[in-house]
Formats: sequence, structure tokens, C-alpha cells
Amino acid sequence: MIVFAILVIVIFNFAFSGSQQTMVSLTPGMLWVTFAFAGVLSLNRAFIQEKEDNCLEGLMVCPVSRETIYLGKMLGSLFFMLLVEVVVLPVFALLFNVNVISLPLIIITILATLGFVTIGTLFSALAVNTKAREMVLPILFFPIVSPVIISAVSASGRVLGGESWGDIYSWLGIIAAFDIIFLVVAYLVFSVVIDE
Amino acid sequence: MKIRVLLGLTAALMVIALYMVFIFVPSDAETGVIQRIFYFHVPLAWIAFLAFFVVFGCSIMYLWKRGRKWDILASSSAEVGLVFTTLFLLTGSIWARPVWGVWWTWDSRLTSSLILWIIYLAYFIIRSYISEEGRRARFAAIVGIMGFIDIPIIAMAITLWRTQHPGPVIFEGGLVTEMIWTLIVAIIAFTALYILLFSYRVLVKQDEHELNALKALRR
Amino acid sequence: MDNLGYLFAAYTVIWVGLFTYILVLAQKQRQLRRDIDWLKEMLKKADQLP
Repeated sequence: MIVFAILVIVIFNFAFSGSQQTMVSLTPGMLWVTFAFAGVLSLNRAFIQEKEDNCLEGLMVCPVSRETIYLGKMLGSLFFMLLVEVVVLPVFALLFNVNVISLPLIIITILATLGFVTIGTLFSALAVNTKAREMVLPILFFPIVSPVIISAVSASGRVLGGESWGDIYSWLGIIAAFDIIFLVVAYLVFSVVIDE
Repeated sequence: MKIRVLLGLTAALMVIALYMVFIFVPSDAETGVIQRIFYFHVPLAWIAFLAFFVVFGCSIMYLWKRGRKWDILASSSAEVGLVFTTLFLLTGSIWARPVWGVWWTWDSRLTSSLILWIIYLAYFIIRSYISEEGRRARFAAIVGIMGFIDIPIIAMAITLWRTQHPGPVIFEGGLVTEMIWTLIVAIIAFTALYILLFSYRVLVKQDEHELNALKALRR
Repeated sequence: MDNLGYLFAAYTVIWVGLFTYILVLAQKQRQLRRDIDWLKEMLKKADQLP
């Protein structure tokens, strides 16, 4: 996954080349496209193995509520994605000479990733139970998660442009609202997806 | 036979709306004749939104009561909603062409509508990938619920994005009273149309189920 | 009266779109009715239907 993300960044370098100025303005987009696609790939894997090895039934027989399974999977994916981001951000900074390691950006990344895994875990479980499996997740994931991507890209752009916290509050607000609302909804609705 | 009544009512309302749009209402001072698209474009959008609200409600009801009829209602409303959204997008594009010179632009309304359209397209794509009826209804309900909840968030994000990168605005200037009346009549006409199409679709779906039930009897 | 062509295009799109949808639905409905009636006849003959 980390390798995939780095590969995407390298490909971006071939796709877009320009002055340092251009690169800075393109950075938010490149960064979030990378994270979004790497995210979808890793989220897809969240349930595929369970389904194939019938682990899912095993999990369900455990004396834990369905909702706990959701939380567990979600936190697992969150941790994994954050790990990838921790590696990718410095690599990005190195390769593109853009300072992406700053507190505001890290906060944006954490919040947005939370949004990704909240939705992604639910839809991954859903996708795995359909005929098309891996193809279903992107179709559902991207439109629903679009406000997070829009907000993350815009906020990151502002941060890189030297703006301070004040400017990005509204963006952070949108992502945070998304996280909370969909965490609750996904939590409530997860059992519908898992149960037969 | 309720359908016949609805059909007649809708047709009558549409004729009145058409008269008002083309003859009764004055042209917009700034953009001219093309602005008249507004009177059909806006109702299409609002009713599409209403349709998706119905999907939302029926999806919740389905997950709660698990009655098949709720799934029929939800999917029928989604289908009509998708048709209306498609028309809304197309007319918006045709309106944009002469006014802005481009077929498409990423202004807040068009962009949000495009995402809305994609979400409901996804609703149907998901349905097509599940053959078992109960699961199809359940999963579709989830998409219907989450999609609808997402709409205000999408709108907020895109509007905020657009205020930072302002784009073209499609309609400035106030509304004269004739315009307001025309719009109201158009909205009523399109609501009737929605109810008509929705009821008809539900009827057809019920026939589909009847056929499947009969086929099952055969074995 | 410029842009009248576009106005016409927009309204045509709406009406063509709506009519296509209605016609497709009506066709589906007719076919369904035919199949249902045919099946009912068949089942009646085979005494599987009261």
C-alpha cells in the first residue's frame, strides 16, 4: 500500500511538471487523489479475506455485537491508512520540495482519513456481499465521500498557501461534521449489511 | 383507474404551465428568452430532490418494517428521481451554453447535482449486482439513506468551495410577480407529473412481482 | 429572440426524455400483463390455480 502510494506520486510527477509555484498549487490535489485511491484499495481488502475464508461467520458467532465488529474494522483501517500517510507525507515533501508536514495539515489528514474509513468500512462490508465485489466500493465510496475530498483539498491548499487556522475552520468543520454524522449512521446500520 | 385521473390532471396542469411559460410571463430583461428554461429547470430539480427524500423515507421504513412494498416505493421513487435529475442536468447544460458559452461548468449547483446523480446511479448499480431480493432491498436502503444524509454536506462543501473560487452565476435579478406565479404553477404541474410517474412505476413493479410469483407457482 | 433555438432544445429534451420513459414503462407493462395472463391461463389448465 505504501509502495502503491509512492508509485502514484511518482506517476504524478510525470503527469504534472512545472515550476515550484505550480507544484505547490497542485500538491493538495495530488496528495488527496493518492490518499483516496490508496484508501479505496486498502478498504476493499478489509472484508474480502473475511468473506473468502468464512471468517465473517466466525466473527459473528463471537459474543461481540455487530457494531463492535464495525468499530474494530474501522479502527484497524484507520490505523493502517494513518500509517501509510505517515510514510507518504515526508516522501512527498522530499520529492516535491513542498512542506507538507505542518500541524494544520496533519489535523486535516487525520480528520479526512477518519471520514474515509467510516464510510469505507461500511461499504466494503456491503460490497463484499454483492456479485461485483471490489468494483462496487469505488462506485459507492467516491460520490459519498466527495465533500471530504473537496474540503481536504481546499483546506490543504490554504495551509500550503500560508494561511493560518482561522481560514480552514469551516473546512475542518465540514469534515468533522461528516465524520461524526456518518460514524453514527454507519454504526447503527452495520448490522443490516452483515446479517443474512 | 386512478392513473387515468392523474394523467388527465397532469396533462391539464402541464398545458397551463406551458401557456404561462411561453405566453403569459414576460421575458427576462437580462438574458432574454432563454431564461424561460428556468420555469421547467427549477421544478425538475426540486421534485428530484423530493423524490430522493421519498427514497430516504421509504428506505428507513423498509429497514424498520421489512415490508416489500417499501422497497418497491423506494426504488420507484429513485427511478423517477433519476430521470428528473438527468433532465435537470441536461436542461441546465443547455441553458448554460448560450448564457456562459460553455456546455458545462463547475458551479455549485451543477456540481452538487452531478454528484447527486452519481449517487443515485450508484443506487441502481448496486441493485443490479445483487440477485437476492431481501439483500438487494436492504443494501439499496442503506445507499438511499446515506446518500440523502450526505446531500446537505455535499452542498455545503461545494458552496464553500465555490465562494472561494467564484464561478458564473446563472440567474441574477429579482423575480417579477408573473414569474413567481409561473414558477408556482410549473412546480405544481411537475409534482403532479412525479406522482403520476411514481404511481405508474409502482404499478409496473407490482406486476413484475405478480409475474414472479406465478412463475414460482409453476414449479 | 436570439437563443430561441436553445430554448426549443431544452424543452424538446424534457419532453422527449419524459415520453421515452413513459413509453418504455408502458411497453414493459404491456408485456408483463401479457405474460401474467398467459401464465394464469396455463396454470388454470393444469389445475394449479383455483
